[in-house]
Amino acid sequence: MSDVFTSEAPDSAVRLAMERVKAAQSVSDLEGLELGTVIVNMGPQHPSTHGVLRLVVTLDGEVIRDVIPVIGYLHRCKEKLAEKRTYFQYIPIVDRTEYVAGMNCEWGYVRTVEKLAGIQPTRRAEFIRVIVAELMRIASHLVAIGTFVADLAPLGTAMAFYTFRDRERVLDLLEQVSGGRMMFNYFRFGGVRYDLPDGWVEKCREFLDYFPPQIVEYENLVNDNAIFLQRTIGKGVLTQQDVVDYAITGPNARASGVAHDLRRTRPYSVYPELDFEVCLGKHGDVYDRYQVRIDEMRESLRIIRQALAMLPQGPVQVGTLRPPYVITPPPGACYTAQENPRGEYGTYIVSDGSRYPYRLKFRDPCFVNLQVFPKLLKGVKIADAIAISGSMDLVLGGIDR
Amino acid sequence: MEHYPKLERFEQPNVITTTADLVFNWARSRSIFPFTYGLACCAIEMLSSGFARFDIARFGWEVFRPTPRQCDLMIVAGTVNEKMAPVLKRLYDQMSEPKWVISMGACATSGGPFYDGYNVVNGVDKIVPVDVYIPGCPPRPEALFQGILELQKKIQQMSFVAPRIDDADERVATTPAEKQGRGA
Amino acid sequence: MSIAIGAVKLAIDDLGARLGAELGADLADLRVQEPDTLVARVDRRRLRAVAAQLKGLAEIAYDSCNFVAAVDHVTHLETVYHLYSYATNSYIELHVEIDRDNPVCDTICDLYPAADWHEREAWDMMGVRFDGHPDLRRILLKDDWIGHPLRKDYVDLLENHPNV
Repeated sequence: MSDVFTSEAPDSAVRLAMERVKAAQSVSDLEGLELGTVIVNMGPQHPSTHGVLRLVVTLDGEVIRDVIPVIGYLHRCKEKLAEKRTYFQYIPIVDRTEYVAGMNCEWGYVRTVEKLAGIQPTRRAEFIRVIVAELMRIASHLVAIGTFVADLAPLGTAMAFYTFRDRERVLDLLEQVSGGRMMFNYFRFGGVRYDLPDGWVEKCREFLDYFPPQIVEYENLVNDNAIFLQRTIGKGVLTQQDVVDYAITGPNARASGVAHDLRRTRPYSVYPELDFEVCLGKHGDVYDRYQVRIDEMRESLRIIRQALAMLPQGPVQVGTLRPPYVITPPPGACYTAQENPRGEYGTYIVSDGSRYPYRLKFRDPCFVNLQVFPKLLKGVKIADAIAISGSMDLVLGGIDR
Repeated sequence: MEHYPKLERFEQPNVITTTADLVFNWARSRSIFPFTYGLACCAIEMLSSGFARFDIARFGWEVFRPTPRQCDLMIVAGTVNEKMAPVLKRLYDQMSEPKWVISMGACATSGGPFYDGYNVVNGVDKIVPVDVYIPGCPPRPEALFQGILELQKKIQQMSFVAPRIDDADERVATTPAEKQGRGA
Repeated sequence: MSIAIGAVKLAIDDLGARLGAELGADLADLRVQEPDTLVARVDRRRLRAVAAQLKGLAEIAYDSCNFVAAVDHVTHLETVYHLYSYATNSYIELHVEIDRDNPVCDTICDLYPAADWHEREAWDMMGVRFDGHPDLRRILLKDDWIGHPLRKDYVDLLENHPNV
């Protein structure tokens, strides 16, 4: 390439993209890229990348030939902060890892510490945890579906209006239980902070009756729309071998037909006593990922209904009224994994017997799912790339931590 | 106050300037185009405030534009870190006058719960001048609306007569980096 | 091709015995932890061979890498690999001890593509260099960041903060 025009000094990701183009003569899939190659940034500020994700895209006209994702624009040093906060002080910070699914993230962290310290939560607390986590899963899928459909069209936020309206109902329920709309600080070691308020079970049952027709409404909005089907069927296919190679988990993996649901394959809490199905897709394309999320919302309603019926009486915290504020788990290491709305959310904690974690590592599902992007987006048009990245449901808080 | 080179500058307020102030400030404060600069969790609350339950359109602010060239308000919703800071400054520079910044949430105000992180900038006002701070983690949409109302009150005080402090000709160092001569 | 999870029903103790027989002394201190995880120590120089063998086992292959973590014990560094086998629905956790003065380890990202970014993050945060990694750059921090933050002796330099 004799003429290279850049608007600013290229950083390492752009330099890597330029080197790959220069070596294009020997690489068959970047052939013919000598004239008119454009390397452009999508992000970090972009309406459709769902957060501060930067994709350095090598374009040949409208077709993407190479993608280099650059992350770290929301790196908030969570793993280092864990070493400066006590186990108890760290609970609200875990909320903010995947901020759309705060309850599930808290549960993952609290479970790991309970396992290290040998604390067994009470039975009523286990059921409350399941109910609250499944409600959060519904809220998270509503965000995912709403923003995904909003991405497909510049002002196509109609679906988002409906899903966010119903998400407010879920957040109302969660606010009545925990006091917060989005950041809860609700889980404690050995149970949960507050018991369910009076009348909450009835309100929850009302929601369970109100919601299924709403799901039908969402499907009626888009499932028969010819343009939606054209833009989603057959695009962004993740094969089962990709799922295995790149350790993809969650609805993205289940849409490809791999029945990897940690609530069934590595059951925890009271999930073995609950009856629900693992929702699978057939082709692993964008439409299947959307459909799996819709189906999972229905299964979550089923789980909540059963858990409400089986809810036992009893305390919601182990021990006396005051929760364990300072706990010192014995030295050791522990990893537990959780089925988050986006996949396998794992927490690996190494403890040295003091009040502070020695090392805390998050295995975040979106961080792992993002690695498949260069493979997935190669050779697609930009418009399809937006649809594909919307369907993979990324939350940058978890990717960057 | 912005320089309008074509308009004659009025030295004293009079009935013309006060009427013009009234009309322009009313128009400006009731139809701001915010910039979708949601970085983290506060962005989801900003989104919620734009949708049906907490309707930001009743303030006239529903036109969120993704490009800074078309916006006059930047709502920094989320934590700013060292990697994002140059991007933030660049986008702020790309906005045209008059422009305002709302710092939404504890992270944008002062670093928030991550204040002692090595990679976190303790407050977006180290990079851009901020007009309204909204505390909260995350602030409820109602808190964002209170911030909006405060900003509307601030805009009402703009005038053709009094000069604004960071005049385009005599650039005053506003951020700590500029004061030390490093420039962001 | 359809991936069936847990198709091979093998008790975790039997699985441990079988791995101990096939890989022998490479998996030191092999023990069972929790219902479905095996834990073992692997020598740094044997890591690639062990990973290749685990991936190549006939029906019980460990075909996916869940995560790679780096831990700073003050006297030495350690990388922890977590591999998953779809067929037996079980995990194996490998602990590799690395010298602190020369923190080098072999990459496994050509065998397990999912380990790619985890290794980059271990380099970024802990300073563990992975031999043979195609693109070992910083992933979460700025390219010109000085230091590796998750080390216990990390000192935050003013050069890293032009915006303070």
